[in-house]
Amino acid sequence: MDFLLDSVEKTIKLGEKIGKLVKSGDIICIDGDLGSGKTHLAKGIALGLDIKEYITSPTFTIVNEYEGRIKLYHFDVYRVNDPDEIEAIGFDEYIFSDGVSIIEWSNLIEGLIPEEHIQIKISKAPEKGENFRIIRISYWGIRYKYIEEINV
Amino acid sequence: MNILSVDTATESATCAVMNNEKLLGEIVFNYKKQHSVILMEMIDSLLKNLKLDISDIDGFVVSKGPGSFTGLRIGASTVKGLSQGTKKPFVGISTLDSLAYNLAYTPGIICPILDALRGNVYTALYEFENETLVIKSDYLVIAIDDLIKIINEKRMPVCFVGDGVLLFKDILKANIKNSSFAPMHLNVARASSMAELGVKKLEKNICDDIYSFAPFYLRKSQAEREYEKKQREMKNE
Repeated sequence: MDFLLDSVEKTIKLGEKIGKLVKSGDIICIDGDLGSGKTHLAKGIALGLDIKEYITSPTFTIVNEYEGRIKLYHFDVYRVNDPDEIEAIGFDEYIFSDGVSIIEWSNLIEGLIPEEHIQIKISKAPEKGENFRIIRISYWGIRYKYIEEINV
Repeated sequence: MNILSVDTATESATCAVMNNEKLLGEIVFNYKKQHSVILMEMIDSLLKNLKLDISDIDGFVVSKGPGSFTGLRIGASTVKGLSQGTKKPFVGISTLDSLAYNLAYTPGIICPILDALRGNVYTALYEFENETLVIKSDYLVIAIDDLIKIINEKRMPVCFVGDGVLLFKDILKANIKNSSFAPMHLNVARASSMAELGVKKLEKNICDDIYSFAPFYLRKSQAEREYEKKQREMKNE
């Protein structure tokens, strides 16, 4: 599914819609260039999970935890040089827990991502304008069929 | 000699005080991992109810793994702190040894299995020989199918124990003749089981060093993971 959005607010709104639908144990991978809006989308998902805390990028902490409707683990693995590093901090116990996991830059640890997950790719659309983004959502696994309900 | 034992390697958060003669007290909570929240209160309440002060403890025992990443770190840091503060020794005991000891004197193979995620278990094979628990394999992290193969080659009765039983009981039962499973009251990590193994070491002055002791995570190497992924992909094609 592709969405063409033209503002940060709309990106957050889309995230919120996803966040309202996600279930315990879901894994959401977000990939896209620096500055494409991955963390904004994550902020929206957190809103949809009724998380009141301010969401910041976990680039330096690798993972931030938030309490909401369901617990949220927000990963940013940009700084990870080797999948072994992230595996060594107990990654599996997070992603196979009852919480929801968002993983930014998941492509860097591809081998650790379970087969069933939601994949969100954000790309810029400079030909349309500076703020335009194409957000492509795909999913693997029947548990994520709810994604098809999303519309903007 | 009063020993305080702490095990937070699995879902069970448990602590116990044991002396050379008997178990004085034990607390076990086998409900959601909330070890960092409840562990200190558990230890405090255990000691208070036994009318003991932390200074009455002569040594500590902690679960060294394998098990939950965070759980192992909570246990190790707690016991290191207590050991350093009281200047009393501590020793780490394998989570698998301790679980196997829950089933003391069971004939045949005793096989603790802990969920290692992605279809894998932490495991090892044990037998009781002359009243002693003897490990008969390496500590392993393997796919459940591979464990079934290993056990079937042994052609011996086997009893399983550990949280992996909840997940894999059906597949184990279906594929291994002569298999049995620990009853519920024994199918949980107990600090008392670990304490008894630890006391035997501390009595012989075998202990660990707070600076060099680290949890034993027992993980697959990336090479092994990639090999498995390739195998899976080939299967899917």
